[in-house]
Amino acid sequence: MSVTPSRFSGLFEMHGKKLLFLTKNLIAGTQFGEQLISAQGTEYRVIDPTRSKLGAALMKGISQLGVKPGDVALYLGASYGYTPSFVSDLLGETGFVFCIDSAPRSTRDLVFLCEQRSNMAPVLADAFHPEAYASRVSGADFVYQDIAQRNQAEIFLKNCDLFLKPGGFAVLVVKARSIDVTKKPGVIFQQVRRQLGEHIAVVDYRVLDPFEKDHCLLVCKKKI
Amino acid sequence: MDPFTSIIGERSSKDIPAFLQQLKQAKHFPAFREKNIALTRQQIQEAVHEDDLIKQAVSCITELNRVINILMKRFREWYELYHPELSHAVRDHEKLLEFAFSRKKPKDSMGTALAETDVKAIQELAAHISQLFNLKKMQEAYLTSAMGKTCPNITALTGALLGAQLVLRAGSLKHLASLPASTIQLLGAEKALFRHLKSGAKSPKHGIIHEHPLVGQAPAGERGRMARILADKIAIAARVDYFKGAFIGEQLRKQVEGKR
Repeated sequence: MSVTPSRFSGLFEMHGKKLLFLTKNLIAGTQFGEQLISAQGTEYRVIDPTRSKLGAALMKGISQLGVKPGDVALYLGASYGYTPSFVSDLLGETGFVFCIDSAPRSTRDLVFLCEQRSNMAPVLADAFHPEAYASRVSGADFVYQDIAQRNQAEIFLKNCDLFLKPGGFAVLVVKARSIDVTKKPGVIFQQVRRQLGEHIAVVDYRVLDPFEKDHCLLVCKKKI
Repeated sequence: MDPFTSIIGERSSKDIPAFLQQLKQAKHFPAFREKNIALTRQQIQEAVHEDDLIKQAVSCITELNRVINILMKRFREWYELYHPELSHAVRDHEKLLEFAFSRKKPKDSMGTALAETDVKAIQELAAHISQLFNLKKMQEAYLTSAMGKTCPNITALTGALLGAQLVLRAGSLKHLASLPASTIQLLGAEKALFRHLKSGAKSPKHGIIHEHPLVGQAPAGERGRMARILADKIAIAARVDYFKGAFIGEQLRKQVEGKR
């Protein structure tokens, strides 16, 4: 059992009883009680696919993410920072991640995380109004959104328009139950795909069952 | 207030994406990080309102009730080994705690004569439960005064505890003020409501406002009507409270009571 680089740059994998995805720990120690693995003198953190939808998509065999060390990421719906911390690991010292969330309660925990990590910045703002925080962030090479809102696709497109570089990649996590509880998730996923397809190219798509119920993850590429 | 507004403000909206891309340089990151941490800390500090304190206090009271009930059940079980007659005769928890060890146990008691150290252990538990009762009373007094200041009109209609629970269910006073009366009527009955919407079961008539004596003690056929009337007035009261209007709580309460 050894840690090897995975096909995603900045991410590592370990084949044991089951496949694990890992990131190189930017700081020492665990931040969320996640499993730590030391190999060849380096500390790695294990991504739990039941806690992180990014981790779930990796386990479901997503083909590409379009993010690499040194990139600048915009993370919408950062919550208390579980997945953002792995994005921060992936980007490394030379990268940077802006974490947007609108809830003061979870952002409180996020601030403590950002104070520990030198490449993270918290922004308490509503992602539906990007103009309100445009003065607090820079442009981005990569956008990741995980927001349980009815208009999540619209929020995503708005932010990609304003912040994502031409040709940059963006990931959208769709929670079907937030859009319409009465419709079947599959119908909603297709509807969101169509809505995105008019503005941005959808390059990959994964349903996150069984890690996350009624969720899917879309990888998109902004047109040049 | 924030350093980049003026730089952005001078540009036309078409240039902004390109300008933001130019800002994407490693030399700017420390400044971005520090300013955002400072700003966010300040925002979080300013995000606490009076209703957040009310929400914590009412949650605390609910949890104290739960803890007191659990411990009191244990206390009675334990104490009844020693003196079952008293526990049986005194159903009121606070009274039992008061008298449990201050009176001499009769000779013909069904309970076992326990060693002093064994009694001591039961006594310790009683002392701590008494303290929890005191804590609950203090928290209730605090909640009453906080509600009286922040939501005088809701409090006049529903009392402090129920009013605070409505604020908690709604999420904030602001959100409660924006809710229609029909939603306020059913706050706390979500499960029954969605069962009704999904499978056509009977619709619920009241949520937690059932706790209000005018609703809960009304005859079964009248409860729906009283719940509706009370919810209407709560909706008005919440809006007046949120926008810090004049005190009309007494008036609203009389109107509700008049429709009994």
